[in-house]
Formats: sequence, C-alpha cells, structure tokens
Amino acid sequence: MGEVILTMKEIDKSFPGVHALDHVNFEVKKGEVHALMGENGAGKSTLMKVLTGIYKKDSGTITYEGKEVEFHNTREAQDAGIVIVHQELNMLGHLTVAQNIFIGREFKKGIAIDDKKMNEEAKKLFDRLHIDIDPAETMSNLTVGKQQMCEIAKAISHEAKVIIFDEPSAALTEAEIEELFKIIKDLRKQQLGIVYISHRMDEIKVITDRVTVMRDGTYVGTLITKDCTKDDIINMMVGRVIYEDPKEHSMVAPDAPVVLKVEHLNAGKMVQDVSFELRKGEILGFSGLMGAGRTETARAIFGADPKESGDIYVNGKKVEINSPEDAVKCGIGYLSEDRKRYGIVVQKTVAENSTMATLEKYMKGLFIDKKKEKQITEEYVKSLATKTPSVDQLVVNLSGGNQQKVVIAKWLVRDCDILIFDEPTRGIDVGAKNEIYKLMNKLAEEGKSIIMISSEMTEILRMSDRIVIMCEGKKTGEVSIEEASQEAIMNMATREIS
Amino acid sequence: MEKIKQNPIVKKLGFNRIILCCVLVLMYALFAVFGDNFTGLPRILSALNYAYFLGFLSLGVTFVIATGGIDFSIGPVMFCAALISGYCLTSYGVPMALSLLISVLVGMMFGIFNGYLVAYWSVPPFIVSMASMNIAKGVASVFTKTQSVSWPQGVSEQGWFRNLVKVGDFPVGLVIFLVFAVICSIILNKTKAGRYILSLGSNKEAVRLSGVNIKKWEMLAYVICGTLVGIAAIFFVAAYTTVQPGYGDTYNNEAIAGCVMGGTSMAGGLASIGGTVIGVFIIALLQEGILALHFRKDYQLIITGIIVIVAVYADVVARRRKN
Amino acid sequence: MSKSKVSNKSVISRLGGQKFIVILVVIGLIIFFSAVSPDFRKYTTFMSILDYSYYIALMAIGVTFPLITGGVDLSIGTGLICYSLTGGYLIVQKGWPVGAGMVVALLLSIAIGLLNGVLVAIMNLPPFLATLCTCMITRGLGSIFSQNFGISWPTSGTPGSWFRNIFKITVNGTKIPLGFLWVVLLVVLMAFVLNHTKIGRYTIAIGSNKEATILSGINVKFYHIMAYVISGFFAGLAAIAYSAVFSTVQPGTGAGFELEAIGGAIIGGVSASGGVGSVVGSLIGVYVICLLKTGLPYIGLQANWQQIITGLVLIGAVLIDIMKKKKEQK
Repeated sequence: MGEVILTMKEIDKSFPGVHALDHVNFEVKKGEVHALMGENGAGKSTLMKVLTGIYKKDSGTITYEGKEVEFHNTREAQDAGIVIVHQELNMLGHLTVAQNIFIGREFKKGIAIDDKKMNEEAKKLFDRLHIDIDPAETMSNLTVGKQQMCEIAKAISHEAKVIIFDEPSAALTEAEIEELFKIIKDLRKQQLGIVYISHRMDEIKVITDRVTVMRDGTYVGTLITKDCTKDDIINMMVGRVIYEDPKEHSMVAPDAPVVLKVEHLNAGKMVQDVSFELRKGEILGFSGLMGAGRTETARAIFGADPKESGDIYVNGKKVEINSPEDAVKCGIGYLSEDRKRYGIVVQKTVAENSTMATLEKYMKGLFIDKKKEKQITEEYVKSLATKTPSVDQLVVNLSGGNQQKVVIAKWLVRDCDILIFDEPTRGIDVGAKNEIYKLMNKLAEEGKSIIMISSEMTEILRMSDRIVIMCEGKKTGEVSIEEASQEAIMNMATREIS
Repeated sequence: MEKIKQNPIVKKLGFNRIILCCVLVLMYALFAVFGDNFTGLPRILSALNYAYFLGFLSLGVTFVIATGGIDFSIGPVMFCAALISGYCLTSYGVPMALSLLISVLVGMMFGIFNGYLVAYWSVPPFIVSMASMNIAKGVASVFTKTQSVSWPQGVSEQGWFRNLVKVGDFPVGLVIFLVFAVICSIILNKTKAGRYILSLGSNKEAVRLSGVNIKKWEMLAYVICGTLVGIAAIFFVAAYTTVQPGYGDTYNNEAIAGCVMGGTSMAGGLASIGGTVIGVFIIALLQEGILALHFRKDYQLIITGIIVIVAVYADVVARRRKN
Repeated sequence: MSKSKVSNKSVISRLGGQKFIVILVVIGLIIFFSAVSPDFRKYTTFMSILDYSYYIALMAIGVTFPLITGGVDLSIGTGLICYSLTGGYLIVQKGWPVGAGMVVALLLSIAIGLLNGVLVAIMNLPPFLATLCTCMITRGLGSIFSQNFGISWPTSGTPGSWFRNIFKITVNGTKIPLGFLWVVLLVVLMAFVLNHTKIGRYTIAIGSNKEATILSGINVKFYHIMAYVISGFFAGLAAIAYSAVFSTVQPGTGAGFELEAIGGAIIGGVSASGGVGSVVGSLIGVYVICLLKTGLPYIGLQANWQQIITGLVLIGAVLIDIMKKKKEQK
C-alpha cells in the first residue's frame, strides 16, 4: 500500500426526509483494494455518487491527489481519473467493443471517426489486462462477464487512478469472477486505488486489503481485512448481534403429501433438467449464487417465461402451465424479487392490488363489489399487520416491507396453496424482515407450501425445512435442514460442472 | 393553493376538472364578447354537433391511452366506417338501421385489428396506428371507388337517424353522448375490464404475473375504442351529411387533445372520463369560436397541436416531480 | 463465444442481412410486374417510378435518424407540403427568385425539425405525439401561407424553371433521371454521417441505451435534436424534389407520405425500437413501396390498393423484426 490518494472527510448529504450521509469519512490509498460494505440503504452508493459528482454534497471535503476537489458530473471525475464500473452495465449493445470504450472521445481523422485506430487502441488495452476480446465485436454478442471486462478496460483507458467497482461480481460466473480478481490484483500492482463494493463476505476476504463499514448513513469504522473475522464485519454492519438461529429440524411431517412435483424442467441455459418435490406445509429453500438459475426456474414453473420441456404435477395431477394465468388456476402464487417491476401496481390502492389476482370473486354482476373488496383487504391488512393508513392508500406510498405484504396478501386472497417467494426480504429493513419470517412460518403451519429463493445463507438456514441448491442452471444438490451446513451448501453452489 | 386542493369537495370533483370547467366558461365568455352572434342557440347547437362525434372518438381513445398505448387511426377509421356504411345505404339499398350497425361493426373490426397486433404481437402502437390509418383510407377509397357519400337528408324517408342528434331544437345527441360517457366511466372504474385496463397501463408485467390474461384486456381497450369510433361515424354523418374518402386525420389530434387535456396520462394507468368530456367540449367550443371570430379552420389545427403539446408536457413534468 | 457466433452467421446475413432480402424483393417485384403487364416494361414507367421515388427516398433518408434513436417523425409528410407551399408562394406570388424560395423552404424545414427535436429531447414528450402535433401544425401553417390555394412552382418553359432540370434533364429528346444521382449521392453522404461521424455514432448510441450515453458524458440533448433536424432538413429537400416533379402542390395534402418513408425505412431494416438501421437499407426499402405504388395499377388494381398494401407491408416488416428479436433472445 502506498500513500493516500483520495480522502473524503465529514461528508454530509440530506435528501428531503432522509439524512443519507451523516459526516462520513473514507480514504483510499494507492495500490490497495478497499472494500466498502454495509446493508442495503447504508449509504454506500450515495457516497460514491457524491464522490463522482452525481450528487452535490451538503458539507465536508474531498481531497484527491493532495488537492481539494469537487466534481459536478461523472465526466469531470472521469477526466480527473476517478471512474465507476457500474453494477448495471452501461452498454451500448448495438455498437462494437471499441466504439463503446471510446464513446464520447472518439479518435478522429478529419470529420470522420477513426474506427481503425480505436480498434488498435482497444486491443492494446486488452493486452495490458491480458484479456482476449475482439474490439470489433458487437457488444451485445459478448457475455456479461466479458462486457464487464470492457467496462474495466474503458475505466483504465481514462488513465484512471481510482476505480470504483459497484457490486461487480453480481452477474458473473465463478470463472469470470476469478478472471476479474486477477485483473484487480494486476491493477493493484500498478498502484491504482480500488474501491470494491460487495455483499459477498468471502470475496472481501480474498481480494481486499481494508474494509470500511457503513450503517444507516454513518461511518462505522475501517478494519485491516486480514486482521479481522467475518463476524467482526457483520457485527459492524448490523450494529447489534442478531441471533439468527438456524432451524434445528424440519417441521414437516415425513408423510406429508407432495403438493408440487417438477420433473426434468428445461428452459434455456439457466434451467437445465431441474427436478424436485415440494411437500405440504414445507418451506423449501432454493440456494445458490446470483445467476444460478433459481429465479428462472421459478418463472418457468409459474409460466412467466416459456419452458422447453418438463412436467409439473400439482397434488399428484399433471398440469399444463403455459402462462401465469394457468399457474394461478393451479393455486400457485409468485412473489417476484423485483417488487416494483413485477409485484405491485404502484398507482393503485392497497385494496386494488390485493384483489388483482382474484377480481372475479369480488364481482356483483358486472361490477366490482368495492365494499366486499375493502372488507377482505382490511382482513388481510390486519392479519399481516400491514402498516397503511387505509386500504385506499396508493401502494406507492408504503414502505418496502409493507409493499411486500400487499403482494403476499394478493396471493393469500387468491387462496394459493403453493407460494414461490423470490428473495422475499430484499431491500427490506431488519425489523420488517423478521415479520416476514414470522409470517412465512405461520403460513407453513397453516398448511401452505412455500418455495423460498434466497441469496442470504442465514435466511436459508433459518427458514428452510429442506434446501435445493442450484448452480449455473442445474440442480447440484438437495439437503435436509438437519444435515445442512453453510460450508456444504456453498460447496454445492460453486461446484465445478464438467 | 394546497389548501384548496385538499378541500373535500374539490378532491371529490378533481382539481384539474374544476380548472377545466373554468377554462370552458372563460372561453365561452371570451367568444361571446368578441365573436359574432355567439350567444344564440344555433351556435351552441353547432358546437354540440362537433362535440358529439369528437366526444365518441375521445372516449374511445381514452381507453387506449389508459393502457399506455395510442391510436391515431381513429379519424380515418371513422371516415372509413361512415363511407362503407353510407355506400351500402346509398348504392346497395341496405336499410338504415343495418347501415348504422355496419358502421359500428367497421369501427369494431379496426379495433380488433389494432388491438390484436398491439396486444398479441407487441407491435408498437404508433406503427399499428400509422398502418391502419392508411389501410382505413385505402379500404374506404377502394370500397366507394373514391367517391364521396352523402347520407339522406332529414326530410327524406330514411332521415330518421338524424333524430339521434336533435329533435327540433332539443339536443338528443347530448343526452346520448352523456349516457355513453357515464357508461364508459362505469366500465373504466367499476368493472373488471376497467380495473385491468388501468392496472396494465400502470404496470403490465405485475398484472401479468398476477395471473391475469393481459393480452385479452389490452386488446379489449382497442376494441372498445374501435366500437366507439364506429358510433362516432354515425354522429358525424348525422351532423355533416357528406363524407369524402382520404380524409379524417385532422380529428385524431383533436380527440387526443380532449383526452389528455382531461387528465388522462400518456404514460398509461391514469384516465378520467369526466375530464375527457370537458376536454371535448373545450375543443368543440374552440372550433366554433374560431369560426365566429372569422378565422380559418387551419388555425384550429395549430391551436389543438399546441394544446396537446402543453397538456402532455404538463403531464411529463407532473410525473417527473412525483419521482 | 464470439468466434463461434461469427461462423454461425448465415449466408444471408453475411451478404448484408435484410438489405439483401429486400433487394431480392425489389427485383422480384420488377420481374412480376414486367411479366404481367407489357406496359410496365416501358421507359416512361421507369421514369415515373423514379419521379415518384425522389421525395419519398429523401424523406426516408432523413427519418432514418429519428427512427434509429428509437423515436419517429410523423411531421415529414405534411411538413413537405408546408415547405413547398411556403417556398412556392414566395416565388409565384411575391416574385422571389427560385433559389431564394428554396432556401426559405429549407430554413423552415430546419426550424420545424428543431422544434421537434426540442419537444422530444428537451421537453421529453413521446416522439410520436410531439411529431403528430407538428404534423397538424405544419398542415395548418401550409394552408395559411398559401391562403388555401394550390401553388405551382414555375413550370418548364417559363423563367425560373431551371430547378426542374435538377431532377430530370432532357438530352436529345431522352429524359435522363438526374434526380436519382442526387439521391444516391445523398445516401452515400448520410451513410457516411451515420457510420463514421459523431452525429451518427451518437444517434445509434441514443437508440441503443440513452441512459448509458448520458453517463458517457455526451451531450445527448444536442445529438438527439440533431436527429430531428436532419429529418426536417431532408423533408425540406424532399419538398424541393416534390415541387420539381409535380406541377401543383395542394394544401391539406401530405398526410400519408410519412408512412411511405417510414415504411420504406423499416422494410429496409431500421428497427422500430431503435439502435439499428442503415441509410442504404432505407433507400432500398423505399423502392419496394414505390414499385407497389406505381406497379399496382398495371395489374388492374386501383391506386388506393397501394395504401392498404403499404400499411400491411409495414406491419409485416415490423412483425419480422419482432420475431427475429424473439429468436435472438432464445
């Protein structure tokens, strides 16, 4: 590690109603990889946005290469040598790799753009990173991993001195992550300062030199990675030790009937020959890394995406599910991981969202029976403890956890016996999380069967009766909660498949 | 300002709609002062004549815009319906009642065509509109051999259909139009169809994943629109007698103007039939006023163009502020 | 991964993809019409197809740019008539020289293009709606400028008719379609602009991913506006071509021209969802439409059938595009 290249001191930033950053400190040295950690909403992204000029800070100072600076947009930050490699890739799919890398600062020959020179320069960059990508290839033809490499190449081409990686591994395969790490280590050797934002504890241990933890918009502390344990970091992140006890044993009777049976399901690359059974009253955890094909499996079962082959049996009877409509008729409900996009209709009220899947039950002749609709919604608002001023409130005005409850209510109103919960607690604060857990346990006790997709190991171990593990589109294992351990699951989730 | 908006009566009626009513009254006052003979009954009846067919177009397109789509083939489709049914009436001797039905059916056919392509094939609505606008013109021209069609006069045996517009000086058309507006409002706010149409305009994927057959409901919006366009054709010929093939596109913009002025959002999910009705009256009054002020019809094209731009821009700004 | 993709490309896509198919369609149509109708094989037919094609081709070249940004320009048809009427009015009624009239027509076209650009890029209106409004506005303006009378630009034989020779010149009694040369030159020029200059590169970038383009530090608003200015300007050029080829310009017409141009562009491979397209493809696509337009009467169909068929062909072209994308996603 060399000298300090970037210091952010006492950074303060408020949005209407939210104190997003409360006097946060952060520094990066040359030749170090510095992890920035914290739960969702801790303020990591806001801090980086302040740094790169997307947000204007209220107070505090940023010192970069010995001088106090303030950038007004990403372009200025870029020109100074601070570059973000975004989580959502900023690809121009219709342009070539080289055209993407040099967008906005094309080499010119007269008034024409010199594509030949751009290709050559891009090739040089790739050589420097030891990556093999054809600069003339159209961007959309590359894999996500390769696209990310291009983003890094683009960052380096800006003569970057500080590179910020915002959850870079989220969409990458194991092999691609390894390649990414190789590049990051390379960059470290070249004395660049690297900020690495990630949720994956194991990665933090492997790649970073120091860890700075944030919580609720405040700076908690900075640790030297090799001198601390995972628990130290987690404790700093959550602030208090939450005893998250794993389930001791399955709550399902051994002779409980099978309510859902999936056999040899295939749907594209992400779902290959997946088979499993779900019993009555069971919570079946689906574990795996991001991009393991769990959501895709769920969507294929639910008919949201077309499947190529495979049989689905509900209560022992073979069913044809070709659309969500069919699935709902079979009593299957699906809570999407992306609530805002796939779960709720934000401009509609709590009541209207709750009956979205069941409207025919609440009709009086041709018309919607709004009284009955309200009544049933109020029932579920009470039983799920949804916090809303009234059932006529627009869903957009509720918090994440309460929106999630509205989506759950939608399926309960429908009387679905099989519920697929895809990352049910994503973006929900800790208190509300526990409520959702309690709710799921209650539902299981009442005889509903739940498939729970989750990327959080603690969640999987705490909730599941049985666990299915997926990796790269294939089911790689299945364990009962009694024999499950974090190590065993991780092992199967990252297994090399030949 | 905020206080007024929070007033329960204002909330019930809708702030925007109250403003629109004020605009309507103000416009009337303005034309009454500066226009020739604007206060007489004939002017009002003439403005109403314009409001009927435009109103049906506007009601129809409100459903489509509520889904987040657009249909600017409605003007030419209305002409196509009027021409085909009129030609059947005058050249093939089809009875009047059946001709009127044919008109509605033609409109409905185009609604089915547009809706099927948009909902089941995901063709962008503006492409479908553009294509079916030209198909409507082409079909009408081919069917009538490029001749204009005149519907029977009021005194003739088959002139009874004009009673749909007015009997004596009593504006029957107004009653019919308002009844339809109420029906549309009920469909939009109180039935399953309306609920799903508005919801899918707001978030299509969420509605689909609720197990709703969104294609069916999205298509239905276009079919409702087409049917209302077919009805609009009847009121057009009942008021203006003659239709010429190859025209009708100027009414697209006026119908859309009435709709977006009334508070229906171009982004979908928000629609107000009451607003559309007032919006239509404003456009109809404007048309009459421009005539009374001795301006040419061309100015109206420009003014409605500007109205739509302003109304949609206001919607864009309002949405941006919300986010 | 990338390598195997290249080798997987079909013969057709290596020959230029949709462009190649569309050329085959053009040739097929020519053979079909020629086979069915002997009259179609005459030089005069050939000339009249070309005459018809200039203004559509010019509009198509221009509208390719807003289409590639993922937008559309519906104002080009009525705009064309408006510019032509304005220029013609100044020349015929006010006695301006023809050159000056042309310049005014072009300036007006740029102004309307600029207006469209501002409405779409700065005020964020949906492109089809913004340009639908300017479509109506230009229609009104055209009628007002010309006081609702048809206007004839100077006819051949009269002073000032030199501009008609730009598009068609008679040498030794044979008419030579000079206009086609200009169209080809402009296509080459604009293909260069699209593929090898910043304006073109950023037009594609906007259509591909507008947010990412903004984050790359590009002045997206400016380049987005430019796409509409180009479209407007080419509608202005089309207005001159139209005035030179046809004797009279009628106010209130022009609606539907935009469909022919946009249809041509989409048939030629411009994606209705943006990001993809080529100027050469648009030109070839236009000839499919022009052949149908001129050819149908030769096989005994009314000219109005062309409107219906153009509409259907447009939808067909978009459907093919949609199905292609669905396949790619798999």
